[in-house]
Amino acid sequence: MLKEKVMLMWESFIEEKVREIRETVGGGKAIIALSGGVDSSTAAILAHKAIGDKLYAVFVNTGFLRKGEPEFVIKTFRDEFGLNLIYIDAQDRFFEALKGVTDPEQKRKIIGKVFIDVFEEVAKEIDAEFLIQGTIAPDWIESQGKIKSHHNVGGLPERLNLKLIEPLRDLYKDEVREVAKELGLPEKIYNRMPFPGPGLAVRVLGEVTPKKVAIVREANAIVEEEIEKAKLRPWQAFAVLLNVKTVGVQGDIRAYKETIAVRIVESLDGMTANAMNVPWEVLQRIAFRITSEIPQVGRVLYDITNKPPATIEFE
Amino acid sequence: MIIIMDNHGQYVHRIWRTLRYLGVESKIIPNTTPLEEIKAMKPKGIIFSGGPSLERTGNCEAILENYEDFNVPILGICLGHQLIAKYFGGKVGRGEKAEYSLVEVEILEENDIFKGLPKRLNVWESHMDEVKELPRDFELLARSEFCEVEAMKHKKLPIYGVQFHPEVAHTEKGSEIYRNFAGLCGEL
Repeated sequence: MLKEKVMLMWESFIEEKVREIRETVGGGKAIIALSGGVDSSTAAILAHKAIGDKLYAVFVNTGFLRKGEPEFVIKTFRDEFGLNLIYIDAQDRFFEALKGVTDPEQKRKIIGKVFIDVFEEVAKEIDAEFLIQGTIAPDWIESQGKIKSHHNVGGLPERLNLKLIEPLRDLYKDEVREVAKELGLPEKIYNRMPFPGPGLAVRVLGEVTPKKVAIVREANAIVEEEIEKAKLRPWQAFAVLLNVKTVGVQGDIRAYKETIAVRIVESLDGMTANAMNVPWEVLQRIAFRITSEIPQVGRVLYDITNKPPATIEFE
Repeated sequence: MIIIMDNHGQYVHRIWRTLRYLGVESKIIPNTTPLEEIKAMKPKGIIFSGGPSLERTGNCEAILENYEDFNVPILGICLGHQLIAKYFGGKVGRGEKAEYSLVEVEILEENDIFKGLPKRLNVWESHMDEVKELPRDFELLARSEFCEVEAMKHKKLPIYGVQFHPEVAHTEKGSEIYRNFAGLCGEL
């Protein structure tokens, strides 16, 4: 399609959705769970454009966010966009609920449940009638296909008696980026790599503990930094703590430490993906930094599997 | 308008999106939709999507049984392709090797569906089962190293099947295949 034609398409998409949200919400109030990712950020700004101060954005710190993320989200949305932003630090509740849990689907479900509990408490106070969600096509496709539960499509609206508004549900990530750009969101957001709802909790395989999340958070930041430095533009680049210890030799001493897997994939929409042909020097640099900056890690692996047969995330 | 029979596959919505980008109107419907309702929509073409199981393909087979009532081009994707093969008397079973992600297929016969495409095409696949024996009334259009029947066509009717997924972004020139199909349906 011609570029101008595509731009026009998004312009009218935004107009249509703004009108729809405005008409639906009317004089009522709406809430949105903002994660700082591309989807919820776009949905939030779209809704803000439609209903302004009648929108309340709730940002929950699960303890599974990326390095520097809470600060970034608060600064961008509260200070720069002027949204009604409510920040909730619920880290302890999430870690407590996940104690001893190792099954990936179980983990996702528990995170979803705690998230809803936390969100419910805030929603009741605000007394909103509408819930705006940044659900996009692959979310409900994968949930229906029982491949993975995406926590933003859980049983929330029924429980809270909220009417659901999902302005992005027919779009794919690349299309959401176009909309975000058209809405004037900063590049830092519309070009952000996708990040799963359950966050770093699904990047620590097996049981999730604050210590393990801290390790994967550092490793993840290193991967993102090095990819940016190398000017590569993958769909996603991240680190996973495999929860497998392996033997090493460090300064003439035997080591027995954690293993990190690095996953870097290219994709248009997340539905299919290929492991990226990342220059060897970049991979080596990532391995060097992770093992030297994170003392608990002794080995770094690169995942070369496509989707299918694997998914992009490990859990 | 082209009807997409939803067989619960992962890429059903991608088919819709690919057609939308070609400017072709389409509609995803539950595969359990009664034939009368489908007829009332006056589709110009029907696509059987991929999916996890032949047991859950609803009325797809009934559409083939009552083909004269519709009399429009049909395209089966992955499971849809296998369903067509099975209905017309071919054999479907577990492949010797599963095919996931990148596969190079060799196009043996351009026919209508592969018109203007190169002889060798990098496509994206996701299947364990495959068509093991071509139905008698069908001709082979494409094959790959691990799968003998990558694409086929009915000798007399505009009924097509492809084992791979032309609707995903990773399939080279995939939207050209949908463009050709939409053309066959008179929608372009």
